Amino acid sequence: MRILLEKLMANYPYFAAVVLFTIGALTVMTRSNLFKKLIGINIMESGIFLMFVAAGNIRGGAVPILDEANTKSVYINPLPSALMLTGIVVSVSVTAFALALIVRLYKSYGTTDAHRIAEMRNEVSER
Amino acid sequence: MTAAITANLPVFVVIAPLFVAFVLPTFARRMRLVEGLVIFVEALGLVGAGYLASIVLAQKGIPIIYRLGGWPAPWGIELEVGSLGAFFLLVIAGVSLPVALFARGNLTKEVGSKERVTRFYVLYLLLNGALAGMAVTNDLFNVFVLVEVATLSCCGLVSARNHPRAAEAAFTYLILATLGSTLVLGGIGFLYITTGHLNMGFSSQELGRIWQDNPHVVWVAISFMLVGFGVKSALFPLHLWLPDAHSTAPSPASAILSGLAIKGYLICLLKILYNVFGHTLIQAFAVHRILVLAGMVAIIAGSILALTQDELKRRLAFSTVAQVGYIYLGLGLVNTKGLTGMLFYLASHAVSKSALFLAAGAMIAATGKQSISELAGIGRKMPITMAVFTVGSLSLVGIPLFSGFIGKWYLILGNLEAGNIIPVAVIIIGSVLCAAYLFPIIRTAYFEPVADEDWQDPGLPQKISLILLAVAIVILGVLPGPFLELASRAAAEFLVLQ
Repeated sequence: MRILLEKLMANYPYFAAVVLFTIGALTVMTRSNLFKKLIGINIMESGIFLMFVAAGNIRGGAVPILDEANTKSVYINPLPSALMLTGIVVSVSVTAFALALIVRLYKSYGTTDAHRIAEMRNEVSER
Repeated sequence: MTAAITANLPVFVVIAPLFVAFVLPTFARRMRLVEGLVIFVEALGLVGAGYLASIVLAQKGIPIIYRLGGWPAPWGIELEVGSLGAFFLLVIAGVSLPVALFARGNLTKEVGSKERVTRFYVLYLLLNGALAGMAVTNDLFNVFVLVEVATLSCCGLVSARNHPRAAEAAFTYLILATLGSTLVLGGIGFLYITTGHLNMGFSSQELGRIWQDNPHVVWVAISFMLVGFGVKSALFPLHLWLPDAHSTAPSPASAILSGLAIKGYLICLLKILYNVFGHTLIQAFAVHRILVLAGMVAIIAGSILALTQDELKRRLAFSTVAQVGYIYLGLGLVNTKGLTGMLFYLASHAVSKSALFLAAGAMIAATGKQSISELAGIGRKMPITMAVFTVGSLSLVGIPLFSGFIGKWYLILGNLEAGNIIPVAVIIIGSVLCAAYLFPIIRTAYFEPVADEDWQDPGLPQKISLILLAVAIVILGVLPGPFLELASRAAAEFLVLQ
């Protein structure tokens, strides 16, 4: 038990990533409000981003810039952070597109609740 | 000049559609020019893919490696056109050219104004570029970026019609697909953390050395990938977004989404499973059993769901769920025959399903009717459209002389080689069910009394596009030669690794 706790404390960024991912996934699947679904997606993605960035970090490591004055011998890995920059851009565009769709749905149904929208659609198709 | 173009062809096939996509909006007012440009770039893609395939065939399996920016592999990004890449590039070009031709002069009615038509083409070309990228990429993070480009353009295509149902379908698709790509990104993250490489070849070597030390991480990575790509390629219990998305999209979009977009994700999954994890790990972790089981469930469940639909495009959409099952079944067969069958079936379904969706689109456009029971006697009013629909159905069912038969034949051979008996039965039952949901449409169309209405075959470009697809189905079924050669060589390469 103590070893487990110590491992958890040493790797707390990964633990946080798992928690974020779970919260996000649960929000997407259980909430019917479209905005909340979108927020869930964003939280979930943050979890994955955190995992990548934490993997590149080395505690006490220097910024990976070639500099004579830099005496540290350990550098952090910049690649995961650079990758996540791309990931964040992708996530922003997904969010923007989803928001545009929500606006269109609100204009035609007058609600942002997925259940209500499904009900209204079924009423229309039954008639 | 020619030398420069041929040397850089692996990257041109990806960049050309992307470039034209971003140039298109400047010509938005001149519809003829926009359509001409799209068809031109698709034709160029077909020529390029054909040329690359001929080189790969001539080199007897040595892939063309292209280093972006000239940096060698562990640091730079690699593109690799091997047998698989050339094969999938040919499929992409062979399907997207007829579909673009079908859309010509025909879209304004479905999507509304001229500007919206231009936007449709922009998304269409973006999707094309992303799919071509999936065919040639050899880098894990590129896979994620291309998957996201494809997903966003697919969602755009689904929401192209100005209808609340289209927006709703697109939103569901967007949320589920983003869930899928987040899982894929997580899987890539685990692979990167354990192996330290994003290049598929290097990652695979490293994984082969260390997987026994961290079996849990490999488990997590595989399951993230399977679920992520499973959502995106509509594997049965994760298919919920597909029927709405594919049936509300404009017909050319349905054709390209059902025919190609799903295949792109499957190719990515195939590459990650066999090029990164490798067949040893697949067998060590029993992933192949999971894949075969999931495939069987999808075939039966998808077919039964398709039987219950009366709306023509929804029935075709559910049929895609069933057909994806065959491809998953093939993914789990770790032998040359099974993988050849899987690849060939993938190509065959791409061509047949787009032919079916385009023919259905032409019928719906001409009659304004959505449901199958209202289309009585249409075979005599629209002979060419219905003939193409029949050819597509025969191919999906797997009648000899049509492309689907060869795919299913190899899948059965692969199963027998692996010693599986139940999947063989499922493939045959699936074919019978497929006949059960497609042939009644043909019967209604030809053998029921003709309604007294003025229904006509679509215009000339649409007719040419439909006939091209039908000819492709028959050629693949009668003379599969070089195509089967590429597929079997790709399958053999997957099994040589490690």
